[in-house]
Amino acid sequence: MSQSLRPYLQCVRQSLGGALCLEDFASEIVERHNVPEVEAQTTPSAVLEPIVISRNDNEKVLIEPSINSVRLSIAIKQADEIEGILVHMLTRFLTARAEAFRILRRKAVDGYDISFLITNVHTEQMLRHKLVDFIVQFMEDVDREISEMKLFLNARARFVAEAFLAPFD
Amino acid sequence: MAIARDRPAIVMDNGTGMTKLGYAGNDSPSFIFPTAMATRSGAGGKPGVRTATSSLSQKRDTEDLDFFIGDEALYAANGPGYGLEYPMRHGQVENWDLMERFWECSLFKYLRCDPEDHYFLLTEPPLNTPENRENTAEIMFESFNCAGLYIAVQAVLALAASWTSSKVQDRSLTGTVIDSGDGVTHVIPVAEGYVIGSGIKSIPIAGRDITYFVQSLLRDRGELDTSLKTAERIKEEYAYVCPDIVKEFSRYDREKDKFQTFRVDQGGGRHVNVDVGYERFLAPEVFFNPEIISSDFLTPLPEVVDTVIQSSPIDVRRGLYNNIVLSGGSTMFKDFGRRLQRDIKHLVDARIKSSEQKSGTKSGGMDVQVISHKRQRNAVWFGGSLLAQTGEFKSYCHTKKDYDEYGPGIVRNFSLFNMP
Amino acid sequence: MLLLQYHNLLLQSILTERLEPGASLVYIDQIISDFDYVTFHVSTPETKSVIVVSLAIKCWSDLVKYGAESVLKREYGSYITETEPGYNFSLKLDVEALQQENAELREALIDKIALLKRHAMAAPFEKAFDTFEQLEKAAQSTDRGVPEESDTEVMTIHYRDEESIFVRPSFDRVTVIFSIIFREETDKIFGKVFLQEFVDARRRAIQNAPQVLYSSSEPPLEIRHVPAAKMQADMGYVTFVLFPRHMTAMRRENCISHVQMFRDFFLYHIKCSKAYLHSRMRYRVSEFLKILNRAKPENVEKERKTASGRRFVST
Repeated sequence: MSQSLRPYLQCVRQSLGGALCLEDFASEIVERHNVPEVEAQTTPSAVLEPIVISRNDNEKVLIEPSINSVRLSIAIKQADEIEGILVHMLTRFLTARAEAFRILRRKAVDGYDISFLITNVHTEQMLRHKLVDFIVQFMEDVDREISEMKLFLNARARFVAEAFLAPFD
Repeated sequence: MAIARDRPAIVMDNGTGMTKLGYAGNDSPSFIFPTAMATRSGAGGKPGVRTATSSLSQKRDTEDLDFFIGDEALYAANGPGYGLEYPMRHGQVENWDLMERFWECSLFKYLRCDPEDHYFLLTEPPLNTPENRENTAEIMFESFNCAGLYIAVQAVLALAASWTSSKVQDRSLTGTVIDSGDGVTHVIPVAEGYVIGSGIKSIPIAGRDITYFVQSLLRDRGELDTSLKTAERIKEEYAYVCPDIVKEFSRYDREKDKFQTFRVDQGGGRHVNVDVGYERFLAPEVFFNPEIISSDFLTPLPEVVDTVIQSSPIDVRRGLYNNIVLSGGSTMFKDFGRRLQRDIKHLVDARIKSSEQKSGTKSGGMDVQVISHKRQRNAVWFGGSLLAQTGEFKSYCHTKKDYDEYGPGIVRNFSLFNMP
Repeated sequence: MLLLQYHNLLLQSILTERLEPGASLVYIDQIISDFDYVTFHVSTPETKSVIVVSLAIKCWSDLVKYGAESVLKREYGSYITETEPGYNFSLKLDVEALQQENAELREALIDKIALLKRHAMAAPFEKAFDTFEQLEKAAQSTDRGVPEESDTEVMTIHYRDEESIFVRPSFDRVTVIFSIIFREETDKIFGKVFLQEFVDARRRAIQNAPQVLYSSSEPPLEIRHVPAAKMQADMGYVTFVLFPRHMTAMRRENCISHVQMFRDFFLYHIKCSKAYLHSRMRYRVSEFLKILNRAKPENVEKERKTASGRRFVST
C-alpha cells in the first residue's frame, strides 16, 4: 500500500464509521412514510453537511450523512481513457447486480463513479463495522482490479498482434 | 446498422444436451452438437467447477482462448490436457463464463458471422428467470455488440413449428407441448403465447431411459453386441408404437417376419448380427406403461397430459386439448401421436360420460388432436427459424440502440408475435 | 481458437457429407452466411444429384473490375455454371460423379470450394502483387531509381457499407489499407490499444512482419486522393505495408488469405477480451458479495425446539 493510500483509506474508515450512526426516522413531510432523508432532501434538519475526502483530483469520496441514511460516492482513479472505459465497464457491471449488493445505488451521484446508500435498515440487519470494512476493501480492490484489467488488455493486445503478424513471415 | 436487417437472422437453441445453431429461413439447423466444452482448467479439478483463483493468477495467459466446443470438445477431452465442462444444467445456463465463450466460438468458428451484422433469436426454457435474460442480453450486446436480440420460450417455438402440419388450420399459439428430449420429458400448457407456469409437469422418462431399456433387453437375450450405441440405433430405426401390447405379442408369435436382424459394424471389418424382437414396440411403450422400467414413476403420459390440461384455466382447456404438439427426438416413434391421441380421448370421453350421467345433461364433447409433423426432432429450432425469417421479426427485437438507452432491463419484456 | 479459419466450415462439412461415397441423395436448400456480407446458397434446384453452390458478395462489382472472374475461373474451371439469380457466382457439382472420384481429389475440391470467399476476394491482391512484380522489374531495368508514383492505381474494395479495403501496388511494396469504423466507445478504446500493439510488434518481436501503421485522424497519404477515402467520425485507417519478402511465390497465397481476415480477426479478439473481462468481473462480484456477506450476523435466530420436537411460538 502506497504512502498516501493508507491515510486516505483510514480517513474514509473513520468518517464513515462516524456517519453510520443511524436511527429510524419517520418522514416529517408525509405521514406514515419512512424514506432515506439523504435522498429525499425534504427535511433540512435531518440532513447533515456532506464531507469530501480527497486523495487527489480524481480520487475522492463523498459522504452525505443524514439521520437515517448515508450516501457514499466514490470517484475511482482513472489515469487515461483505457482506465476510464474499464471503470465504466466495471461500475456498469456492478450496478446491474445492485439487487444482490443491497447497499449499492443503481445510479452514481453526478461526478462520481459509483454510489452506495446505507440506511438504518441495513445497519440494523448487518454489522456496522463490517459494512465499513466492506467499503474500504471495495475501494482497495477496485483500484487493483482496474489496473489488472488494464495489464491484461495490453498483454492480450500484444499477444494478438504478434499472432496475426507472425504468419506473414 | 441498416444492413443487419438484410442479413439472415441467427437462431441459437442451447439445450442442456444439444445445441442447435443455424440461419433463419433454413429448414434444419446448420450445426447440432453437444453443449459441452473442453477446457484446460476442466482437466485437473472437478468438472463444472472452475477454480476462479487460477484464472486470476494466470491472467496474462491466453487460456481463455484455448478450448473446444461440441463434438470437437468430446474428442479433445479424450486426449490429455483437456477436461469436459457443461455450461448448461437443467435447461438453464449454469456457468455464464463458459456460456459466453461457448457462444463466442459458436459465432466465430461455426457460424462465421460478425454479430454486429446479424439479429439473433435465442431460446429459453419455460420459467426462466428475468435475471438470466438480463445476463444473456449483457453478453450478447456488450461483448458481441449484436444488432438485435429476441429471446423466445422454447415451448412457444415448438407450437409455431407445428404450423407446417397440414392438420393445423389456424395459427394459434394455444396448445399443449410435449417436449421429450434425451434427459427429461415436459408437458407444457401454453395459452395464447404465454406458458401456464403452474401447469407444467415433467416426467423422468425420456430418450436415454428408453435406450437403457433396449440395452437391458438385448443383454437379457445375450445378444452379441449390446453396446449403448447399438441399442440407440435399434431404438431409432426399428421402434414403433403399437395399439395394444397383448395383441402385439400374439402377432409376433404368428408373424415371424416381425422379428428383424440388425447388422452392427464393429469396426475393423467385423460385423455382428443382432436380433431385434419385442423391444420394437416395448421401447416406446414405457411412455404409456411406465411400470415396465420404473418403480417410482407410474403415471402414463396420456394421464399426465390430461392432468396438466385439467389443471389449466377452464377457458383455455378446449384449445389445449385441440392442439397437442409433439417436439423433441423421443416423440419421433411411428404412431406415437396416434396412440397418444386415442388414450387421451378415452380419458376425456370417460370423464364426459360420467358427468353426463351425474347431471343428466348432454355434453357437446371435446375434440382431442395430437399434431405430429416432419420437423418434430428440431421443432424448437425450426419454430425459431420460421419466426425469425419473417419481415416483422426484426421489429420485435430489442436492438443494440435500445439496450444502450435503457440497459439490460429491457429484455424482461418481449412482445409476442405471430406470423401473418 | 486464436486465428480464424480461412475456409467456411459449414460449406465444407455439408459438401463432405453429401459427396461421401454411398451418401444418399437428398434435397438441400441451405443459406450460409459468412463474414463481410457474404452469403452462400447450397441447393439442389433441379435434381437431387446436382448441387449448386452460389456466392453473393457485396463488393462483387469491385472484384470483377480487378479480375475476380479470371481468378475464379482458374480455381474452379469446369465447375462454374450459369449464375443463380440473386447471387454473383455459381458452381455446379455432380454428386454421383464426384462420389466415384478418388478421395484425395474430392477432398481437394471440397477444400477449394470452402475457400470460395477467399478466392473471390483474392483478385485485387493478386493483381496488386503482379503489378508490383512488373514495377519492380521495370525499376531494375530502367535503373532510374524511383519510378513515377502516380502510375499505380489504388484499388478500392467496398466490402462493407462504410468500410473499404484499399490496395496500392508500388515498385518496392504493396500497401493494403483497411478503413474501420468503431460504433462503440468501448470498442474504440480497446481497438486503439490493440492497434498500438500491431504497430509496435514489428519493432519489438517480429522484425520481418509487414509494417503496420494506424491513423485515426486522417486518411493515409497513399489514398488521400481516392474519393472513397474520406474521414468520418469514429473511423480509423490501418495500413499494412507488404514488403517483397511477403510476396514471394511461396508466401503469396498464405499472405493473401491472411491479410483478408484482418478486420474479422481484429474484432473477434476485441470481443474475446471483453468476454474475458466479463468473466473476471463476475468473479470480482462474487468476491465482493462474500465480503459484504461477512457483515451479516452469523446466527440470525435459530429455530428452537423442545426435546419432544415441539416448537416455540413467538407471540
